[in-house]
Amino acid sequence: MGRVIFLVDMNAFYISCEMSRNPELKGRPAAVAGDPENRRGIILAANYDARKYAVKTTMTVNEARKLCPGIVLVPPDHDFYELKSREVMKLLSEFTPVIQQNSIDEAWLDVTGCGALFGEPVEMAEKIMNRILNELDLWCSIGISENKFLAKMASEMKKPLGITEVWLKDVPQKIWPLPVGKMYGIGQQTEKKLSELAIFTIGDLARADIKVLRKNFGRYGEEIHRLANGLDFSEVTEFPQHDSKSISRSTTLKNDITDLDFARTILLRLAEEVGEEARRQGCKGKTVSIVIKYSDFQSITRQKSIMPTYLTKDIYNTGAALLEENWNPHRPVRLLGIALANITDENARQLSIFDLPGEGANYRTERLERAMDEIRLRFGKGKITRAKTLELNKKELRKK
Amino acid sequence: MKVICQKEKLAEGINVVQKAVSSKSNIQILEGILIEAGDNFKMTGNDLELAVECFVDAHIERPGAIVINSRMFGEIVRRLPDSDVLIELKDNNTVTIECENSKFNLKGILPEGFPAIPEIEKKNSFKIDQMLLRDMIRQTLFAVCLDENRPILMGSLMEYDGTTLNIVSIDGYRLALRRTTECVGEKPFSVVVPGKALNELVKILEAEPLEVNVVASDNHILFDMGTRKVQSRLLEGKFLNYAGIIPNEFETRLSVRTKELLSAIERAALMITSEDRGHAIKFNVNEERLVITSSTAIGDAHEEVPVEMDGKKLELGFNPRYLTDVLKVVEDEFIEMSFTTNVGPSVIRPVEGRDYDYMVMPVRI
Repeated sequence: MGRVIFLVDMNAFYISCEMSRNPELKGRPAAVAGDPENRRGIILAANYDARKYAVKTTMTVNEARKLCPGIVLVPPDHDFYELKSREVMKLLSEFTPVIQQNSIDEAWLDVTGCGALFGEPVEMAEKIMNRILNELDLWCSIGISENKFLAKMASEMKKPLGITEVWLKDVPQKIWPLPVGKMYGIGQQTEKKLSELAIFTIGDLARADIKVLRKNFGRYGEEIHRLANGLDFSEVTEFPQHDSKSISRSTTLKNDITDLDFARTILLRLAEEVGEEARRQGCKGKTVSIVIKYSDFQSITRQKSIMPTYLTKDIYNTGAALLEENWNPHRPVRLLGIALANITDENARQLSIFDLPGEGANYRTERLERAMDEIRLRFGKGKITRAKTLELNKKELRKK
Repeated sequence: MKVICQKEKLAEGINVVQKAVSSKSNIQILEGILIEAGDNFKMTGNDLELAVECFVDAHIERPGAIVINSRMFGEIVRRLPDSDVLIELKDNNTVTIECENSKFNLKGILPEGFPAIPEIEKKNSFKIDQMLLRDMIRQTLFAVCLDENRPILMGSLMEYDGTTLNIVSIDGYRLALRRTTECVGEKPFSVVVPGKALNELVKILEAEPLEVNVVASDNHILFDMGTRKVQSRLLEGKFLNYAGIIPNEFETRLSVRTKELLSAIERAALMITSEDRGHAIKFNVNEERLVITSSTAIGDAHEEVPVEMDGKKLELGFNPRYLTDVLKVVEDEFIEMSFTTNVGPSVIRPVEGRDYDYMVMPVRI
């Protein structure tokens, strides 16, 4: 028997979260905007009433107001969305333990063999959708297929509150006519490059010569060819193994900066996120790298090897040292990033003296950082933070 | 300056001081050896971290001093015939080296720019046999940390409590400790000597029962062997509290013939090539034998070593190098190996006495 995979995609997630706690927003055009007071602020999520006026994500506030003068704009509250996201995931986990969260508002579920408990796939999807609607007051769309890729494609076909099945046999009819840019995993750059090869639809891609694709895109070419044919063998897994085997965070700064100390503070916040992710996955990395993008869009990356770690303290200290060595006070910086790479599987590894309970060891740092992780998980991201990063809340950042 | 000395003696002296000469430096004079003729004939190398002085037997006809390029000086002298060598400083800082039918004129550098060796305030000192100190350093040096992110561990702790001298190295995954009471000191002290300096010092210390006087200040340590002096900068910072790390209670102990254990581990480690670095060998501690196995893509190995065992059965993994490094430097015929758990430290100690503690962290298997 083949697999049954769902993709549950929360519709207009941010604004739906806002509507769930503020019923006044319901039935009228509303959107979450990055900076509602600023004309150049950006729409992050518009509700379906606003979408009727052609208001779209990434539009500026100014443009949105022109299209829909009565639109209500709300500033984002990421902690609240995280909280709602966790509630959604918790509800989903009542249907199957095999869940892979793909982003804050979507997740794959492997529901193979759940038929006896919840009925046919479509029935089960209806149950999930209704519970999310009734218990959390949120909307979702669900794609159903035998693999992750097709489930994702299916979920995009009918929004909001759609349940769509796309099985392998449906691929030529439902998937191939779509423009290649609509394919999951293909970005603008690839789309442009494909169009130069006279590949415009997913069907064109599926029928394209694998040699040509390999020559132009390498291994990625083979992968998109396979996906275009509706084939995806990847598992639904809580912690997917990335090819790159690195965990990274970067941020574009609101204003270009030249102040090293401020840059360090930003790096600390990014390192904290990287460390938290690494600890959650139980992955230690041997290399810390930073990326600095200057105001002229040139960028440099620098890296350093250290003892395998997932501690924010080690990641930050290494990153900060690299930042200092490479800081040029005369070149304004627009983006900073930090990554932990060369990741080793924590379970088959050399144990270190610093992990032993005892004085001055990693042991205490790890317990401290894990305690902070737990507080954030339970009460929201902003609930505990390093004092140094408090200044960032004043100088708000442009989110990437 | 005009001196005459035997080629053998001169070559040996150059070899000693070269340990403290930078082969590549932005400062030209640091690539040189300072040669001085006064009451004695003395050579000095100094790379600002480490300084080495060496007195060479010579007949001094006229005093003087000059700095000459270390590499060139060494290459020349090494190739000279075994005979007397004349070194003479001429005008324009030119140094003439003559030996039988060979003659060289080298450009020298005025000695004024050569860095002086900091005077050591004699805060602490102790005397120890050169050969013993050499062995103690050699038996701990391999566990010095090479990771620049833990600078204080890039050296060995030398600690004297009034009766016992301890030398300790820790690289994060293992610990090596050597102790002796066969030394005479004034008062307790504790310093951290850079591994790089110790690595040179072991080559300079002589394998003979001669005394070395060790003097430490807050920033420097001097090893004074009479005709040879080695002075190093000390590492700053607080060393790890090693005593708190070494366990004293164990689940399992065994005593084993050192050479047999070493050979068995070395053979089992043959399965582990550089590609699967991080692969562990497995120890299965049983009633009367220790079973060592390893398994990789190449194949697998099975070794059995007779042991006397006391305690629980245990299975755990090790990086083989961490054990062979220890077993290669231990001179006892038998050792005692003690285990806590399969994720806690294991310790290698002498069956009798307490000359050393080696602690190794296992690999999770």
